[in-house]
Amino acid sequence: MLEMERVCTSYGPVPMLRDVSLRVGEGEMVCLLGPNGAGKSTTFNAICGLLPADSGTIRIAGRDVKEAGPERLASLGVGFVPEGRRLFPTLTVRENLRLAFDAARNPGLDFEDRLAKMSALFPRIEERLGQGAGTMSGGEQAMVALARALIGDPRLVVMDEPSLGLSPRLISEYFQIVARIRDEGKAVLLIEQNAETALSIAERGYLLIRGQIAISGASETLLKDDTIRHLYL
Amino acid sequence: MDALLAQHLLNWLVLGSIYTLIALGFSLLFGVLDVIHFSHGDVSMAAPFVALAAIQAVAAWAVPLTGTGALLLAILISMAAIGLLGVLLDWLVIRRFRAAPAMMALVATVALGTVIRELIRTLYPQGSNPKPFPAIATDVIRLGDIVVPVFSLIVIAVSVLTVIALFALLNHTPVGVRIRAVAEDRAVARLMAIRPNRIFAVTFFIASAVGAVGAVFFVSHAGVVRFDYGVQLGLIGFSAAVIGGLGSMQGAILGSLLIAGIDMLVQIAVPDGASYRLVFIFLLVIGVLVLKPSGILGKPVFEKV
Repeated sequence: MLEMERVCTSYGPVPMLRDVSLRVGEGEMVCLLGPNGAGKSTTFNAICGLLPADSGTIRIAGRDVKEAGPERLASLGVGFVPEGRRLFPTLTVRENLRLAFDAARNPGLDFEDRLAKMSALFPRIEERLGQGAGTMSGGEQAMVALARALIGDPRLVVMDEPSLGLSPRLISEYFQIVARIRDEGKAVLLIEQNAETALSIAERGYLLIRGQIAISGASETLLKDDTIRHLYL
Repeated sequence: MDALLAQHLLNWLVLGSIYTLIALGFSLLFGVLDVIHFSHGDVSMAAPFVALAAIQAVAAWAVPLTGTGALLLAILISMAAIGLLGVLLDWLVIRRFRAAPAMMALVATVALGTVIRELIRTLYPQGSNPKPFPAIATDVIRLGDIVVPVFSLIVIAVSVLTVIALFALLNHTPVGVRIRAVAEDRAVARLMAIRPNRIFAVTFFIASAVGAVGAVFFVSHAGVVRFDYGVQLGLIGFSAAVIGGLGSMQGAILGSLLIAGIDMLVQIAVPDGASYRLVFIFLLVIGVLVLKPSGILGKPVFEKV
């Protein structure tokens, strides 16, 4: 579903990512770990085409991201959860979800139908539909941001630090839903600082340090890895 | 006295309506593009010139329209033309400054305003001279002692309808939701398959076409149009948008009514007030900005680095 091959990026003269390669297969759940400033959000921005890579290629569903541009990714079957949710605050929850639904251009899907599915997954959404997204609590916004990524029924979901700022109780609730998404057969790239939680639901993981992939492997292996234990656990 | 007061109130609303039509464009463009489009007044003021040319063209092509009908058609043509002019200027000039610091776009649009003004002056036949502009309506309605020009009613009604249409468009149509999405988060809007450049074009068309109506009302009110009227109208419209809170549609209306109110009060109460009106208007602007830099209804603005 997602392939990054030797991707290098920079912010002006400052190199950010160096030769980052990673892949997420169909229906696979993969996490990208790393400390603050390692380049996790840069990776997210590169994947969604907002920060063009200097070299290397990024493909989603076989399409080159640079060629497609950020505007076409949703219709390739990707849903995004950007860092900090980034819902449109004065748009209603319904309008936020509608934009994402329209962007996916998934034929055969009915908006009301999908909305009902999202309400089933996130029980609090239904009563908030007419409310401005910016007026909700952080936890509710996190749920709506995830619903926004899912409403077009994508094949791949890319999440950037989705649990940041949530209470421990909400984090576990949140990741239960993420696990359900995985079980539905969607591919997931989970970019996370919280290594233990991420590795507990992902099949594989990559560790990003100073813009480079330091270690990668199956979750069980990574959980025992000394660098990761030293960094996180 | 009551009749006089009513007359003043009516004039206030007319002036406030005209300023609103200009201020809305400033606020809308700033809200969506984060750009202060300083040539908005001059772009809008090109409308009466297009309308004058269109009236002559209509007459020359023997379209069976005279008087009000021809004028109305000419105004519609000028709205469309000025809307497209706005889109063209965005594409030619303002687009180049999307990623640049706000100051650069500001300077570029100031320069653009001068270019537009001077082009009208040199290209329009006898462009330096004031041109009479036909009255949209000359009839008056008498309500007791109060004389209500039909033109005043038209200006107020059209402005109110324009504001309602604009709010309905922004809040209840797919394109309006997309305009707001781009205004709030351009990057995430792109992930929602929205192409910001298209939204900017639509926004420029709307703002410029609405500004065209404001400018046509302004010169029809004055009876003449000059190539440099856009400077003052633009400055007043911009100030109204700023004191109301740039980016806020309600703020643009409030700011326009406030400025029109000061304008009226000075002309009524201050001896030789007409000469001093701009002094008082801009003192009000300074006063509001000192007390509340983000404008009355504006949210605090953080300068982007």
